[in-house]
Amino acid sequence: MEHAAQFLNSTVVHMLVGLIGVIALVSVNALFLIWVERKVSAHMQLRPGPMEVGPHGALQSLADAIKLMSKELITPDEVDKPIYWLAPIVVFLPVLLSFLVIPFSQTMIIRDMNVGIVLILAFSTLSVLAILMAGWSSNNKYSVFGAIRSVAQNVAYEIPLLVTVMSIILMVGSFKLSDIVAAQSQTWFIFIQPLAFLLFITCATAETNRAPFDLPEAESELVAGFHTEYSGMRFALFFLAEYTNIFIASAVATVLFLGGWHGPILPGVIWFFIKVYALVFLLMWFRWTFPRVRFDQLVNFSWKILIPLSFVNLLITAFVLKLR
Amino acid sequence: MIELYGIEEKTYTLNLGPQHPSTHGVLRVLLEMEGEFISKAEPVIGYGHRGHEHMAENRNYQQFLPNMGRVDYLHALAYNQGYCMAVEKLLGLVVPERAEFIRVITAELNRITSHLLWFGAYLLDLGAFTPIMYAFDDREHILDLLDRITGSRLTYCFYRFGGVPVDLDDEFITGTRAFIQRLRSRWVDYDNLVTKNVIFINRARDVGLITKDQCVKYGITGPNLRGSGIPYDIRKSEPYSAYPLFDFEVPIGSKGDIFDRYMVRLQEMEQSCRIIEQALDKLPNGPIMAEKVPKRIKPPVGEVYQAVETARGEFGIYIVSQGDVKPYRVKLRVPSFANLSLFPELAVDTLVADLVAILGSVDVVIPEIDR
Amino acid sequence: MLKDNLTKALAPLGLEKVADGDYAKTGYHLEVAAQPDQMAGVAQAMLDAGCFLESFTAVDLMESFDLVYHFASFDELCRTAVHVPLGKRKGMPSISQIYPGADWYEREVFDLFGIHFFGHPNLKRILLPEDADFHPLLKDFGATQGND
Repeated sequence: MEHAAQFLNSTVVHMLVGLIGVIALVSVNALFLIWVERKVSAHMQLRPGPMEVGPHGALQSLADAIKLMSKELITPDEVDKPIYWLAPIVVFLPVLLSFLVIPFSQTMIIRDMNVGIVLILAFSTLSVLAILMAGWSSNNKYSVFGAIRSVAQNVAYEIPLLVTVMSIILMVGSFKLSDIVAAQSQTWFIFIQPLAFLLFITCATAETNRAPFDLPEAESELVAGFHTEYSGMRFALFFLAEYTNIFIASAVATVLFLGGWHGPILPGVIWFFIKVYALVFLLMWFRWTFPRVRFDQLVNFSWKILIPLSFVNLLITAFVLKLR
Repeated sequence: MIELYGIEEKTYTLNLGPQHPSTHGVLRVLLEMEGEFISKAEPVIGYGHRGHEHMAENRNYQQFLPNMGRVDYLHALAYNQGYCMAVEKLLGLVVPERAEFIRVITAELNRITSHLLWFGAYLLDLGAFTPIMYAFDDREHILDLLDRITGSRLTYCFYRFGGVPVDLDDEFITGTRAFIQRLRSRWVDYDNLVTKNVIFINRARDVGLITKDQCVKYGITGPNLRGSGIPYDIRKSEPYSAYPLFDFEVPIGSKGDIFDRYMVRLQEMEQSCRIIEQALDKLPNGPIMAEKVPKRIKPPVGEVYQAVETARGEFGIYIVSQGDVKPYRVKLRVPSFANLSLFPELAVDTLVADLVAILGSVDVVIPEIDR
Repeated sequence: MLKDNLTKALAPLGLEKVADGDYAKTGYHLEVAAQPDQMAGVAQAMLDAGCFLESFTAVDLMESFDLVYHFASFDELCRTAVHVPLGKRKGMPSISQIYPGADWYEREVFDLFGIHFFGHPNLKRILLPEDADFHPLLKDFGATQGND
């Protein structure tokens, strides 16, 4: 009996259960978010959105997913085959792995690493590589344009993101995400560092290629940007990665600024998800309200405004902490 | 080709193909680019050439009437009006006052639908997905109103030589008045959502400048011309139909950038509302068709040029008659033809994103260019 | 008055006809007839007076062509129609150096009538496919020719 209990408690089982949970969460989350996006956009545009499949179109994303999975995997002739095949996988895996360190509640965290936040930031940069791989291997001018734009955009917006996160880390003194959440048991950091929150949300919108910063996917200019040549299940993977990225970005913002799983009465997990989805709704709200920012304005905005602001924020944080 | 440290740089050719979400019809633009900057843009047209002018020579004057609604389907009633007025000039027909008022009311309603569609589609090009839905919602009301009396939603063929065939009924009049009230409350929404949006202003200010000199050299007309500060509107400068009886302004811009053209179109919609209200207030009783309209339309030998102001600019129709039931030659002078010919000059040294913005702000409808 | 200014400006060119038009019947204020080689002078006079090229087209009169230019002004209402007779198989000097807007109009006339314009920077077909071998608005093209 002791052996059985030890076995169940071991890290291996812990991680396996976590992995299965994450895959389930990612799939369901993506389906749910796609449906939410369609409904939110529809209601903002004075129309009902999907209503046919299931009650209020709830099964629409499932139907779309089945359709995408059943499509033939077409590989255009002129593409660079190894890189073309790898790109969707490279875009999806890091996002999946970021789930390892997110604290869904006090106990629900797959692996509470010492370098939690650094891991997530590192993995989010890998998706840029995947976009470049997709755009380049497609052998298509539109895709290359989309990829180039995406790389420039992501590089530009990584820096204020990192510096903003640094100001939070300075306050907490640890990279562990559970420590960051624990430090917010009295007040959430959004009230202590509102500027950092604004900067983070702006950079997160840009990092996840969401409107108004969605130039790499600009439909009306570049057909479909870097994933023009992808169809069927490969396209579905890009799509899945994008929505999961939105979830991760909102989850990190929740952990850093909104107190993670803290909240009265309801269990931590429920609060966590409420906060994450509130931020996701905010990101969707942005998409359906604003026109697209032009590319040079986008890059200028980051280098000339966001980066100086984030450094100012960091300096003020350091100064205040020193004074204490 | 630039020689840089012994490496030759070539420009990069990109094709904004005939099928593209932003080219508003079947337009192909051949771009030569250096990085993200355009060095040369050449529009290629003719994908929608249907031979309207040839059809005119092989049909009676009445049989050619429906064609006019298909040339520019967005402001079809103005083209109807131009053609009818040209033939009426040749025949010496006088249109009764009530018919002129009806023509003005319906043409102005059509102008509002055209500008609303431009507004929605232009914002869609810039990446805002919501304004088009609101604009089309408003547009649906107008289409329902016009559907009641003309029988069509888009490609109207409503006017006849000598007047209009169907009179306005009370439901149309009350519906139109109610709609104008509703539309006026929408201006606030459009203002808050778009006009005051800093992202939109940054994309529209100081981009795509059209100078007055270019306007004269290329024959630019319509909101593009008025955005550059020249107050030329045919309804005021060469008044026709019942327009002299109404009090309205001609909005103009100052710099000639995209934002000015956008504001001109928005303000024109408000001025159209004013015209419609005045027309409904002053609507006279009387016949809607001229008395002696010949059964066989056989104008005497001669020629005529008639200009009307459409949503896109000046539509001119030039008819040469040699005394036959069919016109000898019909030339359709469409505003988008001249407006698009300026585009290569506007596009030099801009970014691809700006290219789409400039093309949209010029408001071209390809079927009227191709005829 | 713009009409008087234009009449004065066109006088030294020695044109066949510079007369008042019947506005109520034709929509013109000024009617001008010119020869092909005089057209450049007429266009320059129009541009100097501030007029814009409203329209340009051709009419196939069986034995010859009649090229019709329409000019108007943004400042004052005055439409000028310039008729230029052109023999068949003759070419016409281009006015696109004076009015860049005439570029596309001349290409259209070339495309639909086959009239050649000397000095045009880019005289290719504009509406029909580049490899078409017919000119559809010629009177001997026929109503149904080209439908196979």
